[in-house]
Amino acid sequence: MMRFTTLLKHPADWMTGHGAETSVVLTSRVRLARNLADAPYPGWARKVQRQEVMAEICQHLDELPLMKDSFSHELSDLDSLQKQVLVERHLISREQAARNEGSAAVVNRKQSLSLMVNEEDHLRIQAIQPSLKLEEAYNLAREVDQGLEQKLAFAFHPSWGYLTACPTNLGTGMRASAMLHLPGLVLSDQIGQVLKGINKLGLAVRGLYGEGTESLGNLYQISNQSTLGESEEEILQRLTRVIGDVARYETQARKKLLSEDPLMVRDRIGRATGILTYARIISSKEALNHLSMLRLGADLGILPTCLLESCDRLFMETQPAHLQWTAGRKLLPDARDAMRAQMIRDQLHSDLPPAIDISGKEL
Amino acid sequence: MKCDSCEEKATVFYTQVTDGKLKKFVLCDSCAKAKGITNPDGLLMAEETLKPMVIGGPEPEIFPVKGQGACSTCGFTISDLQKVGRLGCPDCYQAFSAEIGQRLSSLHKGVLHVGHVPAGLARKREMSHKVLELEENLEKAVGEERYEDAAVLRDELEKLKSGEEESLS
Repeated sequence: MMRFTTLLKHPADWMTGHGAETSVVLTSRVRLARNLADAPYPGWARKVQRQEVMAEICQHLDELPLMKDSFSHELSDLDSLQKQVLVERHLISREQAARNEGSAAVVNRKQSLSLMVNEEDHLRIQAIQPSLKLEEAYNLAREVDQGLEQKLAFAFHPSWGYLTACPTNLGTGMRASAMLHLPGLVLSDQIGQVLKGINKLGLAVRGLYGEGTESLGNLYQISNQSTLGESEEEILQRLTRVIGDVARYETQARKKLLSEDPLMVRDRIGRATGILTYARIISSKEALNHLSMLRLGADLGILPTCLLESCDRLFMETQPAHLQWTAGRKLLPDARDAMRAQMIRDQLHSDLPPAIDISGKEL
Repeated sequence: MKCDSCEEKATVFYTQVTDGKLKKFVLCDSCAKAKGITNPDGLLMAEETLKPMVIGGPEPEIFPVKGQGACSTCGFTISDLQKVGRLGCPDCYQAFSAEIGQRLSSLHKGVLHVGHVPAGLARKREMSHKVLELEENLEKAVGEERYEDAAVLRDELEKLKSGEEESLS
């Protein structure tokens, strides 16, 4: 079994090295909700019942070749920092992080598959892929589903499909989503219109960490809302089409900004670069918003392309729990802001040697 | 949900209406058995058990909660659903089918599942369809005194049934 430290030492496949392909759509995710037919849902079950369900599901998960050597822990075995790191990596939900005995998190070696046992449902299978690859993500999640449906009796109704704890997931039990970086649409004031259009198509738009979170760093999640009445393929195709359209609008908006208002765009990117290169204290929110501008600059060729990957890594590694995990101890917010600033500075000084050297000890 | 008489998991849910007042109690298997209220046929016994509560009152009306706002499998109630927006167990969909059915069209694009069906279930359903069909044909053949056809059908049916057992074991 993989240890937590091993899991975190290696960034997930979907986190690094994809360049232009991920300049707008960072990741695609598909999750399938499944429940055992003969057990109460986790929210209504007693601890013993949850533990029984967990044991049964985990036993069959262990037998799947796809989940060989995976990271697998009961939530009560993880401390709050470890849980928070998994949340920041999108490997478990915030709801799952609040749970303890009778809930488990299982993550494969590549971190392309993460399974939550006894979150809202008995089982949630999540697959993550870089860029716009919803089909691939679905196929990966289905592989796990397929392996398990041979052994476990999932709650299923001929006309209502998979019976999930919440009727909003009924039917396919599938939620597919993509994470998009949309600074062009935000800077050109088109974002409101685009989001409204997406909502009208029956799709949901959320901020960085899902339900009820605000958008930071111009990052948006687009996902399907309806899970009943359409097949998985139909949902994925519709979503892929809409996300593809949004990505094209974003690319157009970036080009248009650069040709019509180059001064404003270069000013925003220049200011962000200045602050991130020289700041000594920076909050998570401020960092995300400036990194977003840096990322835009890298995509537009104003800054070196290698910054694209650096930004994506920093998005993750400068989050509060990741910082504390790297530091090896709990850090108060002030200390985190200082460490975050240093981490970003160090990265930028290697990607983008500064004109003014203030990296020395004299400051 | 715990049994009203002991710490075990409650599996039997009764609602009693007396003078228009609702009284609910939940019991585990063994307590329910001890009180003789494991099935609706035992209702007389249930009245015996509950007598202290209804002395002097009119004839009590006692029935399992099913259809009375609680899931008979897990005891989850419709008001719980309204409170938390989630259900207690997969059987709740049966218990609250009317209420959930009403909401579905506002939640989803359609009200009928057209997506993936679990493989094991699909196979099982196909099998049971086939078995039903063969049984029907067999009955018809016997009724029409086509005994040779009936024998063939019976063999086929037996083969199918034994095959099913094999695949299940």
